[in-house]
Amino acid sequence: MAKRTTATKSELGRQSEPALLILTSLASGEKHGYALAKDVEAFSGVTLGPGTLYGAISRLEERGLIAPVPSDDRRQPYKITSSGRTALASAVRDMRALADEGAARLRLRVLALRLQSRHLVTGLTR
Amino acid sequence: MSASNHFERILRWYPPNWRAHYGPGLVALLEDTYGENPVPLRIRASLARAGTVERAREVGVLGETTSSNDRLRVGSQLVLCGWSLFVIAGAIFAKFTEHWNVATPAAHRTLASIGDSAVQWAGVVSAITVLVAALFVFPVVVRLVRAQGWTSIRRPVRRNALAVGSVAAFIAGLTLWAHRMSFHQRNGGTIGYTIGFLVTGVVALVAIATATSTAVTVTRELDFSRRMLRLLSSLALGLTVLMGVIVAGVALWWASEAIYAPHFLANNIGNGFISTSNTLPPALVVAGALMLLGLSSAFAGSLRVLGGLKKT
Repeated sequence: MAKRTTATKSELGRQSEPALLILTSLASGEKHGYALAKDVEAFSGVTLGPGTLYGAISRLEERGLIAPVPSDDRRQPYKITSSGRTALASAVRDMRALADEGAARLRLRVLALRLQSRHLVTGLTR
Repeated sequence: MSASNHFERILRWYPPNWRAHYGPGLVALLEDTYGENPVPLRIRASLARAGTVERAREVGVLGETTSSNDRLRVGSQLVLCGWSLFVIAGAIFAKFTEHWNVATPAAHRTLASIGDSAVQWAGVVSAITVLVAALFVFPVVVRLVRAQGWTSIRRPVRRNALAVGSVAAFIAGLTLWAHRMSFHQRNGGTIGYTIGFLVTGVVALVAIATATSTAVTVTRELDFSRRMLRLLSSLALGLTVLMGVIVAGVALWWASEAIYAPHFLANNIGNGFISTSNTLPPALVVAGALMLLGLSSAFAGSLRVLGGLKKT
């Protein structure tokens, strides 16, 4: 798992948190800067400043994880690319694995139950 | 001024290429967020920082996506910038330490002497290193001029020639003047000469800054082979080591004098510098600060070079 996390981080760059938040927001559809900032704030409680937001946008675009959508409006919308979806999926898998491991070690009942049921389902479907 | 112009002005920290691509979107975001209200100072500061980071990325000082060759080139340029600060600091140190051995008891000169010699030798070797690097670069400059003409480098080269010409004229004038004066007149006894000395110092500072900026601008235009870049980068790494030796030498000399001849540091009358009653004379503090700044720049450049050498 450690190797995969490192790979995902290098794919998203050093400032992986704003990048992940932006990719997550764009996964549900294209958005321009203001809509992105509001959406990120709504689902994560994190306020991305304009400098941080556009720094992450330019890095993501440089890496081909998001792309600008042609628009006549002064607001420039962005969409997630297929590489972006892959990078986000990989990051989500890593985070889920970490969350599951943390929950199991902390013996968090609800999460542990979910873990057990998932193992059960996996066992039944095999 | 319209709100849009106001927001565009805030983005002046960003490089022009970045502004052309992302500027309209970022301005729209600022308009949507703040409308007619003033942009908070915290956000302005954050934009200034982000813009500076983008500028550093554009020239290759920061960023992981920069090519290995760009890392070598920019790393070497950072080392050169650091060295130019050492030239200024070294001149201050050399002037300040004139006749230090006369003021220091013979039994306590050893450490200071080692420090002073280390500074002098490392200074000479570092100057030779830069000259060797310039000799290697020169044929590449000639090739560029033959292929593209002077157009791409005319402005910085002309500016540099003017700066170097001015400093040479000032130094020649000052030297001729100094020859007709007594030791006392030369060392603070004549206000006109002191002012002339300070003005020459400022002109020399401007000339060094111009020469460094010219070197950086011109080398950015040059098409170096990988082999040449590796060679120049190796010289840059050597230069960083020499700067480290200079700093160690200065520290040794300073510490030794502070212990065995504090009167020399405190009452440094006779060489035109401001005197103080402690062992932290302003001239040495300024020289030390410049050296530390230069060494930091050289370290950052060397790390960039090492990263570029590792990356294939």
